Amino acid sequence: MAPDLLASLILVLPLASAALCALFLRRQGGLASAVSVTAAAAIAVCSGLLIFGGHREFPASWEWLRFGDFALSIGFKFDDLSALMLFVVSFVGFLIHVFSLGYMHDDPARGRYFGGLSIFMFSMLGIVLADNLLMIFIFWELVGFSSYLLINHWFERPSAAAASKKAFIVNRVGDFGFLLGIILCYWLNGTVNLSELAAKSSAGALVASTAVPLLLFCGALGKSAQMPLHVWLPDAMEGPTPVSALIHAATMVAAGIYMLCRVHVLMVPDALTAIMWVGTITALYAAICAITQRDIKKVLAYSTLSQLGYMVAAFGLGSLAVEHNVTTPGAAALAAGVGAAMFHLTTHAFFKALLFLGSGSVIHGCHHEQDIFKMGGLAKKMPVTFACFTIGVLAIIGMPGLAGFFSKDAILYLAMENNTSVFAVLTITAVLTSFYMVRMWKLTFLGAPRTESSEHAHEGGFTLWAPLVVLAILSIVGATGPLGLFPKLAGSVATLIPVAHGSAHTTILLVSLAVMLTGAAGAWFFYRSSENDALEQASPGFFRVLASKLWIDEAYGYYVAKIQQPFARALSFVEQIALAGFIIRGLAGVAGVIGIGARTLHIGNVHVYVYWFLIGVVLFWSYAMGLF
Amino acid sequence: MTVGLDQYLFLSALLFAIGFFGVLARRNAIVIFMSLELMLMASTLALVAFSRFNGTYSGNVFVFFILAIAAAEVAVGLAIIVALFRHRKTVMVDELNALKN
Repeated sequence: MAPDLLASLILVLPLASAALCALFLRRQGGLASAVSVTAAAAIAVCSGLLIFGGHREFPASWEWLRFGDFALSIGFKFDDLSALMLFVVSFVGFLIHVFSLGYMHDDPARGRYFGGLSIFMFSMLGIVLADNLLMIFIFWELVGFSSYLLINHWFERPSAAAASKKAFIVNRVGDFGFLLGIILCYWLNGTVNLSELAAKSSAGALVASTAVPLLLFCGALGKSAQMPLHVWLPDAMEGPTPVSALIHAATMVAAGIYMLCRVHVLMVPDALTAIMWVGTITALYAAICAITQRDIKKVLAYSTLSQLGYMVAAFGLGSLAVEHNVTTPGAAALAAGVGAAMFHLTTHAFFKALLFLGSGSVIHGCHHEQDIFKMGGLAKKMPVTFACFTIGVLAIIGMPGLAGFFSKDAILYLAMENNTSVFAVLTITAVLTSFYMVRMWKLTFLGAPRTESSEHAHEGGFTLWAPLVVLAILSIVGATGPLGLFPKLAGSVATLIPVAHGSAHTTILLVSLAVMLTGAAGAWFFYRSSENDALEQASPGFFRVLASKLWIDEAYGYYVAKIQQPFARALSFVEQIALAGFIIRGLAGVAGVIGIGARTLHIGNVHVYVYWFLIGVVLFWSYAMGLF
Repeated sequence: MTVGLDQYLFLSALLFAIGFFGVLARRNAIVIFMSLELMLMASTLALVAFSRFNGTYSGNVFVFFILAIAAAEVAVGLAIIVALFRHRKTVMVDELNALKN
């Protein structure tokens, strides 16, 4: 099949499935799930054909709208980068669809749920394939909308409704910057087409601007939940667990990093430095927050934030080489960041989807218990989940041989070469990562069952554990290394991954092993199988500081309630008095008074009209005589 | 006593004033209509007088036009009054106040 047709099919299939579910199958959950999963399978097949069929950079662009000189086109740019992302989205997406079959089996609103999944697949694949920034922006907003729908799936819960609103509004803040960035980019360069921008960049004709990449990064700030717009992601865990896996761990939140990689030619050193620090701080902050969480999904949410911080930091780091070693910015050196960031994005998508689906399996098995202190002893009850989850944990903490090890080492190596302070922070983050993951893993699976629900935990059906097994395999082979699948997927992107050689290689290996073992051992010996948090008992004050998440939510709450609301009320008051009261009502009032006066002249009696006529004649006559 | 232009114009103004007073004071639509005709005739008298004293025919030509139009107007006006009477059983203008509201 022609590649452009395949790419169109990848977009049309989920849209058709979503339309079908939304319009006709809202009450028929079984049929809706069948349609949606079939569509996801078909997308995976089409993506496979497209990715492994050797199609790259085929021309596919159609004009959609034209205003004067400005044309908005819908088109596909399919290179190694988007091929990699397409693989992640379509295959992980398909596995999560399958998992949803089991997980959402008893949900009364299954039709709506699967319709939401399909519209999400449509929007996300649109971002992946888009060939210009405006098209990315359109699908970007659609992704935000579908995320809103899915977080809000159990809308009767006030917390879910609030979380979906929060996610949507926080994302709007970032998206506003993104839109400004796109407009500025068009204004400066005259195009927002990715291929044209790349061509301009290699010709040296690109207008260098720090504002453009920083504004575009605002979009990533919202979507990839970086500080200070990270607040929505932990709350988004109110959605069903497969949604958290698909949208809030593996794909949508990675869209920010993907978008940065797509526009990497626009980057300048100053912007990259800012991006690097935002990512580094987010990584550390989220890792600190994760230590005190009791909810299994919240731990994973903060861990996602932290890993996203890693990716953003990696993207920012890559180009520091430009600043230090190369005098003119060049794509090759910049791309080092792209390689490491996309590498970690891919492996993270595998193991984090695995961890989330594993937690979904645990939650399902424990009858919707999410508190890890009320679990325990699940290793014997749910052996498949335990095995897969363990692989996920080992992958994220960087056990040699697993996917996370390679990608995290690539980032750490990049940091060590380019910026020692970032390297230090990321190393501490890695210790913390290993600490909180082992804490969660031990409390959930080891020891004795601590409550009724974990006592009666059971393994789910085939659809619940099969995706886990596939993702566990991908978490092992989804990287470089001897078994590595990644170079086959990523093509030229894989060659951009920084690889350490010689003594640097040894150093990185030792550092990475040391941090992993430190964190893991710390958690292993510190936490006992108990219903209470060991850290809370050992040091309540310290625990409270960590558990407060540095009062960022409170600060936003204060800002909204005490600053923004009064300001809005003051503006509303001014509007009511000056605009609505004085100008609008005032003008209408003048016309009304004139109308009332004129109405009294209208008596309905012919005689009176004759008198008016007489007065009129007299006035006219006196005017003609020049009396006034 | 010589009858000059002033006398004619005075007579014309007097007739006009009587007609106008009739329009103002009377309640019967037919009488008002007659008063209107009186005002019209007052103006034709003035025009004829001007024509006579200027020695030109332009005033007379005006008068012919006015008479022709007045004839048409009488036909239409009387027809309206007849139709009104059939419809409302009255031609008293102070009872004809349906224009209001």
